[in-house]
Amino acid sequence: MINSLYIAWHYLVFNKVRSATLVACITLIAFLPMALQLILEESQQLLQSRANSTPLLLGARGSALDLVMSSLYFDDEVPEIISMRAADEITDTGLAYAIPLYIRFQARNKPIVGTSIDYFDFRNLQIAQGRMLAVLGESVIGAGVAEEYGLAPGDSIVSSPDTLFDLAGAYPLKMTVAGILERSHTPDDQAVFVDLKTAWVIEGLGHGHEDLSRTRDSSVILNRSEDSVTANAKLFQYTEITEENMEGFHFHGDASIYPLTALLVVPDDAKAATLLRGRYLENQQYHIVRPTEVIQGLMQNIFRIKRVIDAVIAIVGLATILAIALVFALSVRLRQRELTTIFKLGCSRMTAVKLIAAEIVIIVLAAGIICAGLLYIVDANIETLVRMFILN
Amino acid sequence: MNAKFWQIIVSILLVVSFTASADEKLSVYAVNYPLAYFAERIGGSSVNVVLPVPAGIDPAFWEPDASVIAEFQQADLILLNGAGYAKWLKHASLPRRKLVNTSAAFQRDYISVEQTVTHQHGPGGDHSHAGTAFTTWLDFNQARMQAKAILSTLENQRPRHADTFIQNYTLLEKDLVSLDQALSAIVAQDSNKPFIASHPVYQYLSRRYYINLKSVMWEPEIMPEQNQWDALQQLLATHDAKWMIWEGQPDKQSATRLEELDINSLVFSPCANTPEEGDFISVMKNNIREIEKAFQ
Repeated sequence: MINSLYIAWHYLVFNKVRSATLVACITLIAFLPMALQLILEESQQLLQSRANSTPLLLGARGSALDLVMSSLYFDDEVPEIISMRAADEITDTGLAYAIPLYIRFQARNKPIVGTSIDYFDFRNLQIAQGRMLAVLGESVIGAGVAEEYGLAPGDSIVSSPDTLFDLAGAYPLKMTVAGILERSHTPDDQAVFVDLKTAWVIEGLGHGHEDLSRTRDSSVILNRSEDSVTANAKLFQYTEITEENMEGFHFHGDASIYPLTALLVVPDDAKAATLLRGRYLENQQYHIVRPTEVIQGLMQNIFRIKRVIDAVIAIVGLATILAIALVFALSVRLRQRELTTIFKLGCSRMTAVKLIAAEIVIIVLAAGIICAGLLYIVDANIETLVRMFILN
Repeated sequence: MNAKFWQIIVSILLVVSFTASADEKLSVYAVNYPLAYFAERIGGSSVNVVLPVPAGIDPAFWEPDASVIAEFQQADLILLNGAGYAKWLKHASLPRRKLVNTSAAFQRDYISVEQTVTHQHGPGGDHSHAGTAFTTWLDFNQARMQAKAILSTLENQRPRHADTFIQNYTLLEKDLVSLDQALSAIVAQDSNKPFIASHPVYQYLSRRYYINLKSVMWEPEIMPEQNQWDALQQLLATHDAKWMIWEGQPDKQSATRLEELDINSLVFSPCANTPEEGDFISVMKNNIREIEKAFQ
């Protein structure tokens, strides 16, 4: 058998292109369904476990899927905005507590999650390095963000402007990295967390500038009366919140109408959850969704598509196997003179069969090894792939 | 038999651990002394109340560092005064779930501080950094409502001890009602009697007890500058006060010069931070005795 394998190996090496084509065909046919299954299983696990650990979400009436994808997986799609008043309303019910979320901005292509400290307790996120958020202008970053950009506590991260050419839009804010979270293998690893108030500063609802009543630069003053000072556009606004200028940061308007993208609602018990959902059934402004149900619906659709893809792969696979069989059959015919020589040398018919079988074994083995290698790569990058193909 | 034995042991351990966790002291952080005092009085041995503001510092303008904010974050409850009290809260990251605004029940009755400068810039339009009067507890009826908010929160957190909390609260309420009635009775003797406050911190006191009060911006330990004396003279022209209410013992020079203007000094401590002697009730009783001097 060793001799057969030796001769088969040399034959395959001599016919490189043919051998490589066969290996590639078998590899692809084996790899595609397995990789697809791997990605779908992982995405199901990721999506489902995250959804299962989130009891309820409140958002503006509209797409439940957009709301869940934004609030749980920090998808780029921003759902309809709700106001901070919604959080107070939930608290006032006495049935649950609400964790506000404002996920609209990015820093280095990573989502900035504006929330309250309660979020970290709720998700059981621990600080690996540095410390928790303490004051305005600080951020805590996921392990993935820290690793990707080589950030450590004390470094800074800058929010991306809303639109590049919107000069009147929100200014980028330089935020200090106060701490790095322990890896949780969830979308939290890829996020930049800030206090809600910091997110509102990025939005432009809060800002810091020199005290107008004390400024020495008269060119920034448009109008000054006994009880009012009007500044012009020259007034410099701070782009970083430091200990020195923090006092100068303030918010305008009624805080209860400040924007949120969602509320993570944590009811006291199952009964409270049911009561809450009932109360918001007829609400024209908001709706409460159970992420588990939304994700189950999404997964059903994904698996429906997967079944179609499986059927296509099965047909293509069958066609490929037939084509490979044809290749070998034709190969035997093409090698008729070679086989005749082998018989003339005194070899039995069985030896010829062994030679062809050895070629098939080597090709299948090579395809198997490559397929395993590719699956290993997929497995190692499964989170990125899931994010790339499923979440985004 | 063996399995049953272990089931019993595990059950006992579970009950013991549950009881232990239910009896664990609640960690309560407060932003000022009155709230800390109320929490201690109501919670008794079931709570561990912390007021991390160093002695001699006004908690309203104190700035904690990150490590103290981290302590607040770790607490079971954070008692807030409301009415914009404790400026540091505007910039701090605290867990919403643990925050208790003790003055929420009367937030519609907050007093806005006048004479603030407004300014305008950018698209946001006219706005002001106007503040709110925050020494809410100097109205003892409001102080009672703040104590009640603390009672309600403690009851929710430790329902097993609710009866004790209610008993403790009843005693505290009695003390606060007694202070309220005593001060009302004193001021009722002459509610038109004009007073000057050395600092604008007595708005709620003035409103609740109908004290005819106008404020200047003086500090007890600092001798006022000439322009401040001039401003006082102007004020006296329309508000013929014979008494000035101070937050703390006034500087001797200030007191003497006031006496020359026929103005006596009395100390009414807001007691925002832990007093050197006594407690909230004893300090307030002392304040009432001081006020009483003006009506004798």
